[in-house]
Amino acid sequence: MDTPEPLLKIRDLHVGYGKKPILRGASYDVVPGECLTLLGANGSGKSTSMNAICGFVRPSAGSVLFDGQETAGLPPHRIFALGIAQVSQARDLFPDLTVEDNLRLGAMRRGGKELTQTLAHIYDRFPRLKERRKQATRTLSGGEQQMVAIGRALMSRPRLLLLDEPSGGLSPQFCEEIARIIDTLKEDGVTMLMVEQNLNLAFRAADRFIVLRDGEVVDGGDVRAMAGDHDAIVRNIYL
Amino acid sequence: MLMQLTLGGLSQGMIYALIALSLTVVYRSTTVVNFGHGDFVMAGAFLSYVLVVLAGVAFLPAAALAMIAMFVLGVMFNRGLIRPIRGGPHIGLALMCIAAGYLLRGIARMVWGREVLPMPPVFDMAPIFVGDLVITGDAVFIIGTVLVLLLLFFGLMALTDLGKMVQAVYQSPRGARLIGLNVDRFNDFSWGVGAALGALGGILVAPVSLLHPDLGASFLIKGFAAMTLGGFGSLGGAVLGGVLLGIAEQYAGAYLDTALIEITAYVVIVAVLFIRPQGLFGRKAVVKV
Repeated sequence: MDTPEPLLKIRDLHVGYGKKPILRGASYDVVPGECLTLLGANGSGKSTSMNAICGFVRPSAGSVLFDGQETAGLPPHRIFALGIAQVSQARDLFPDLTVEDNLRLGAMRRGGKELTQTLAHIYDRFPRLKERRKQATRTLSGGEQQMVAIGRALMSRPRLLLLDEPSGGLSPQFCEEIARIIDTLKEDGVTMLMVEQNLNLAFRAADRFIVLRDGEVVDGGDVRAMAGDHDAIVRNIYL
Repeated sequence: MLMQLTLGGLSQGMIYALIALSLTVVYRSTTVVNFGHGDFVMAGAFLSYVLVVLAGVAFLPAAALAMIAMFVLGVMFNRGLIRPIRGGPHIGLALMCIAAGYLLRGIARMVWGREVLPMPPVFDMAPIFVGDLVITGDAVFIIGTVLVLLLLFFGLMALTDLGKMVQAVYQSPRGARLIGLNVDRFNDFSWGVGAALGALGGILVAPVSLLHPDLGASFLIKGFAAMTLGGFGSLGGAVLGGVLLGIAEQYAGAYLDTALIEITAYVVIVAVLFIRPQGLFGRKAVVKV
């Protein structure tokens, strides 16, 4: 297959917390317009990958190239300004601020010029958020909070969207809703890198997957080519 | 009599409110309780004294200069001494604050020893009589200045993008990083604002009281009492707590015993912690990760 120039190029990435190494030489690419899923057991380095890309942890070695620019070692706000936004597992919303404030704040450092249009677009996509725009986010349900978290990240018009466990703690119906959201994001041309424990969602939404084990990439491929053979992947992840 | 006491308490309470608010600004940004804050208040008072009495600057520009200097000191303190040890245990942060406070106090003692310095009166205005009530220029000036400042502060926080960003940093530092804010810089800013507001407390009391290097200690306790009463970590609660404390002191002093003025703050702290530990406006403890 003829692959376009990757948007994100990770090469030989090493990250550790204290003396404990988590990522040990992981290398992978994210190409424009795709949704890539990181799979792997707990502690295999999925979330650490995300945090290293965003600058929340500093890699001890290796390189993270975003659109040709080295971002390893940059502080989070500089990386965000380049167009990488993360929807974190804990969502990290601002509980006492309204839905609309949470969303608007997403565009303070990037995407400010298009703030009004992006906000209207997000309200179109999530009508429930429009209904609740004057409510403090702490009063929302988990699913609604997840919409705010995704919407807030989209407010910056990211070139790469990182989704850390978007289905985490949500009901099965909402997982389906997340899958639909990811579909529409793909139609809009948003490039995504996702960590997801829910394999149904992971395979339903992603184009490609890679498997991390002990901080290294051990497997990967096209999701469609693997259709119906999830067992092999599960074995590869956990055994 | 009651009105007179209330006015006196309000004027004193506005100072406590300012100090409690400035402590809260620092606390909300970095979860550090600045045990050296009383000495920041003292430093503000002494800076304005030096500028007015020794350098002959007029009071208002002197106050502005002292606040700017304290803003810079607050930023430098956070950058140089707090930020590098923030990952460590809280006791280390507390001790760092105490050490910095004693350093400021030590400098003031080196220069002025145990002297008690009178600041020339600034608000030289004939008192206004409303019936029995005597409204002094000091009271008008203190209450007026703090009211304007509070309106400005809460207006900025609630209505501007900058204020919303500050609230975002307070409510979730990690969330603030996720939207691309430079959280370290916001924290520096909060320390600067906290130091400057605390210093203004000192600047405002300087003309109505005597200056001495140890004056910060009692203001620190008043600030803590106001914060506890209002709800630890609540900005609005800090202000209300300060005002209520000021008025309570006056009532207790007049109707019970003058000795009580000095210990009202301690009584308030103990009583609130027993009866309603979250204070008037507090929710459950603010947990930050």
